[in-house]
Amino acid sequence: MISNFFASVGAFVLGMVEAFFQALSIAGRTFRGVFHPKERARGEVLHQMYQIGNRSLLFVTVTLGALGMVLVFQVCLQINKITGDQSQVGPEFIRGMVHAFVPILTAMMLATRVGAGIAAEIGSMTVTEQVDALRMTGVDPVDYLIVPRFLASMIMTLVLGIYATVIVVLAGALMAHTAFDVNYNVFFVFEKITWGDLGVGLTKLVVHGGAIPIVSGYCGLSTTGGSEGVGTATTRAVINSSLTVIILDFVISAIGLMTVQSGT
Amino acid sequence: MIHCDGLCLQLTHRPVLADVTWHIEAGSVWGIIGPPASGKSVLAKTLCGLFTPRQGRLIVDGVDLPGLPEPDRVRVRRKMGMLFQNNALFDFLRVLENVAFPLARQNPKMPQDELVARAQERLRAVGLSGSEEKWPSELSGGMKKRVGIARATICNAPVLIYDEPTAGLDPVTTSKIYDLLTGLRQKHASTVIAISSDIPALRHFVDHILFLHQGRIRYCGPESGLEACEDPVVYQFVRGQTEGPL
Repeated sequence: MISNFFASVGAFVLGMVEAFFQALSIAGRTFRGVFHPKERARGEVLHQMYQIGNRSLLFVTVTLGALGMVLVFQVCLQINKITGDQSQVGPEFIRGMVHAFVPILTAMMLATRVGAGIAAEIGSMTVTEQVDALRMTGVDPVDYLIVPRFLASMIMTLVLGIYATVIVVLAGALMAHTAFDVNYNVFFVFEKITWGDLGVGLTKLVVHGGAIPIVSGYCGLSTTGGSEGVGTATTRAVINSSLTVIILDFVISAIGLMTVQSGT
Repeated sequence: MIHCDGLCLQLTHRPVLADVTWHIEAGSVWGIIGPPASGKSVLAKTLCGLFTPRQGRLIVDGVDLPGLPEPDRVRVRRKMGMLFQNNALFDFLRVLENVAFPLARQNPKMPQDELVARAQERLRAVGLSGSEEKWPSELSGGMKKRVGIARATICNAPVLIYDEPTAGLDPVTTSKIYDLLTGLRQKHASTVIAISSDIPALRHFVDHILFLHQGRIRYCGPESGLEACEDPVVYQFVRGQTEGPL
């Protein structure tokens, strides 16, 4: 009984280690594939940019707009109970959004919407042998399927992140002005944002955007079984992409705080 | 042409092929039969280098296939065409693009109009003229099989592998498909490996049979010798009897 338990734990750990190195191998092949544009279908990056970016606009607008309003409302409410001085709400809110909240929230939303889509699409192709058919014709599935999504996701996560920052700040300002009578001139103060904050925020967006298709693509390519396997791969893609985003966000934040953001 | 010596393969820690030794001469026509989940499709994919055996040797046209890294296996795969069990038509491409895809990958500099002409000619050969602009989801099962055959044969590869070319098709379409495969075989003199559960139809098409059961070979020889095989599994399966080891 005890030996069975240890055997199960050992098999689980070995499986995790194997999966990690396989995902790492796909990441390496994806980076290499960026420099082989002839391996990709023509126009595929643009098509994926539309799928990832345009199709996420409403989702990002509604979610981050609502979040900006709720956050500003709660902060102003608490400040009202203590000092009543709301002159710092806008500048601190904008700074926090730029380097911390918007990158991780945008990426988490894309991990659910885009990550699930990528894993389901590639997973379906795997179980219907389309990936094998690609390999038979000399096409590397990583080059053909993951690299265009990787490039498109990096670009569109950056664009969506910048757009989301505008939406969240506008929504926050609207809430502060209508509910707490904070003047727009007092709210829209950008002096607290340093180049370090901006750099960290943009870096996070690009890195998170690149990580989602790699993790989700790996989940899709390792799909086994039929439609049930595709469902499992989709769930794994959402969970693993979200976890990867959180870990990467933590690492970049730590590096940023120790370097470009030190002293701020 | 293809030589397997003691091939063993495991998938998800489960043995799928065990000690498979098989020699395929150029120009021969082989049928692989056996009960479900006996490793027929896996063996076919292993011959193409889509799976890497854990043990044994696999020589394809003088090249040790498992010893090659994935990018180098492409050169060997170019000598093969495969119809997959699920047809594996790319659902993001139209019928004509599906058929032309392998040719375009093998000949990146081939002019577009020549590619289209070759694909149209191949679609005509399988009786699907006029379906060029259709999506795979708009095709019936038989039409999908025929598109798959057109795609597998467009490069005139010396080795052709058909995995369940007639699965789920009615007897008339089955006969038409086998007539088509026979015509293609006579025209290009390819080495052919066909996997099928429709044993009577398959036996008319092939001249050698490989019988697999639980990843092991139970019969490997001329089609005419199958009836005389005394292995109880082969005996029961070929006669479709309910009593026996299966």
